[in-house]
Amino acid sequence: MKSFTVDRRNLLFAGGLGLLGVYVSRGFVFGEPKGNRVVILGGGYGGVTAAKYIKKLYPDAQVILVEKKPMFVSCPLSNLYLVGLVPYEELCYPYNNLVVKYGVEFVNDEVLAIEPEKREVVLGGGRLKYDYLIVSLGIEYDYEENPALKEVYWSYPPAFQPGSEHLYLKRMLEGFEGESILISVPKMPFRCPPAPYERAALILSYARREGLKVHLYFVDENEEPPVMSKGFLKAYEDFYKGQATYLTSTKILEVDPVRKVAKTTRGNIKFSMANFIPPMRAPKLLERAGLLRKGEKWVSVNPMTFETSLKNVFVIGDSAFTYLPKTGYAAHSEGKVVAKVIASRLRKKPWEGELVQQAVCYAMVNLKQAIMINVEYRYNLQTKEIKKEIYEDDTWKVSTAKRYIEWARGLWRDMFT
Amino acid sequence: MDRRAFVKACGSVATLSFLSSTFLTKTLKAQTNEFKKYKKAILLNKDGNPIKPEEIEVGKQYLFFYPYRSTPAFLLNLGKEVKPVEVKLSDGSSYLWPGGVGPQKSIVAFCAICQHQLSYPTPEYSFINYYPPDKPSKSVKRGNVIQCCAHMSVFDPEKGGIVLDGPAEYPLLTIVLSYEEGKLYAVGTLGVEKFSDFFDAYRSDLKKMYRSFRKAKKKVDKSVVMRVEEYVNEVVYC
Repeated sequence: MKSFTVDRRNLLFAGGLGLLGVYVSRGFVFGEPKGNRVVILGGGYGGVTAAKYIKKLYPDAQVILVEKKPMFVSCPLSNLYLVGLVPYEELCYPYNNLVVKYGVEFVNDEVLAIEPEKREVVLGGGRLKYDYLIVSLGIEYDYEENPALKEVYWSYPPAFQPGSEHLYLKRMLEGFEGESILISVPKMPFRCPPAPYERAALILSYARREGLKVHLYFVDENEEPPVMSKGFLKAYEDFYKGQATYLTSTKILEVDPVRKVAKTTRGNIKFSMANFIPPMRAPKLLERAGLLRKGEKWVSVNPMTFETSLKNVFVIGDSAFTYLPKTGYAAHSEGKVVAKVIASRLRKKPWEGELVQQAVCYAMVNLKQAIMINVEYRYNLQTKEIKKEIYEDDTWKVSTAKRYIEWARGLWRDMFT
Repeated sequence: MDRRAFVKACGSVATLSFLSSTFLTKTLKAQTNEFKKYKKAILLNKDGNPIKPEEIEVGKQYLFFYPYRSTPAFLLNLGKEVKPVEVKLSDGSSYLWPGGVGPQKSIVAFCAICQHQLSYPTPEYSFINYYPPDKPSKSVKRGNVIQCCAHMSVFDPEKGGIVLDGPAEYPLLTIVLSYEEGKLYAVGTLGVEKFSDFFDAYRSDLKKMYRSFRKAKKKVDKSVVMRVEEYVNEVVYC
């Protein structure tokens, strides 16, 4: 779907040039910005939320959302899709309401580069100028950090980017007839910290329901689950004792996809199916744009406004280095904050940012029950410190699993209604 | 609204509301611009008779549907006089919340659609609920609150539904009640309405439940009050 602001004369002219085989860039179609143009790169949780709320708060803003996929697919709840607890279509939402109801302009294109000195982004189809830029491009798999995992991407999709990887992994799981599964977890930070631990529990619970004899080798570079550790470790002990080997502080060194053997820092593991989750980082194009220094993986931002060192350039979601976890929920909250910051700047009434942020997160421990955590972050303007208040419910319940589904549906309602 | 004006307004509203519910609605409209008048609906008990205040037990949560036949509202008897308060919004505006009605001025009503992301009680589940003082929420260790367990927003029913905790940006929408000759009526709403978003978000669910979306949006002139547990199969607390 493409939605452009273009008057009739320009449209005819562009069409004529197109017929003549002349390259018509997006910059031409959109023209020069008039001080109110907000370009948002990435149509995930952060980007969609920012787009909607900027238009709600300041309807005169020209908001252009650039996303390479034609439809939104959610990563949150995708583990539940893998084991058949939610259908794939529940994870998918079209972008049309943003265009029709809120007046966001949607460009279905890939981002190739950001050129801050020109205040332009380079897309597959041309150049686009901005007054304000929000980068919400999520993560990229970091195979420089662990090259061994690059070789096995095609055989064993990580399924930490929404869409086809999940479809493939589910198909593999459905065809799986038993024996050993290997799941590997990279060192923190990575997208959605509880996700690998939830996936391990769900796959074991799924295997049991399907009557499969399975042993899980859970190879974790971390010392323990980084969030909800008490709940996860108790669940592993209570539900899956003898069914899994949890190897902590262990790294995958090499993988032979033909012989199906992984060499780790604690010896070789033979597997019949695997899910290698690679290290992650902010997209490399941010390095070329000067937003990431060499060797840095995440973009430093002002914790109150998510603005980078470049004025009016914001980075939200998983690409940013903040006190908030790399989750869809956090990206959604950050999208709202940035919308307020930009809307207030457009109104010439600067606003300093949000002092209190919250992250609510749920995780299944089997096919029916879930645990949850709610963290409130209070930012102290004077000391620049973040005070965390944590409420964790590590007693798994069926009702918490129902809240989990409602949690995700609420986010989608907020983004797409 | 400054303090003097607020105190004066409270006094005027309290005194004159005794005399006329029409005055109450007119006053709210004139003072706040947030009051929206809907069809006046009489609240009924399960037998179809006008519900009496004494039938609304303290510490229990009741539901009725208002102003549309598909939009649920909580009806609560807080067991003591609930005074009017000024409710401030994040944009700096404010409105005067009229407090409780009934012989003890202890009965209040709020729209049961969460102001954060629109969770609401359905025949299957209710994630948003009232926690009486003797059964406090475990997560916030506090009673006499309305909490939504999906994203943990907490509201104060004694202070106009203001947000006490969590991500909700606006107070719960007040359903304005009037008490006339021993009968309870819902007369309108006060606060930030999200009915339009609600109908957009749940269009297909409502169509299924009411057999047509148009029927789901029908405004009511009477509404049966029931215990939440009678309407909802599973009440989810947190």
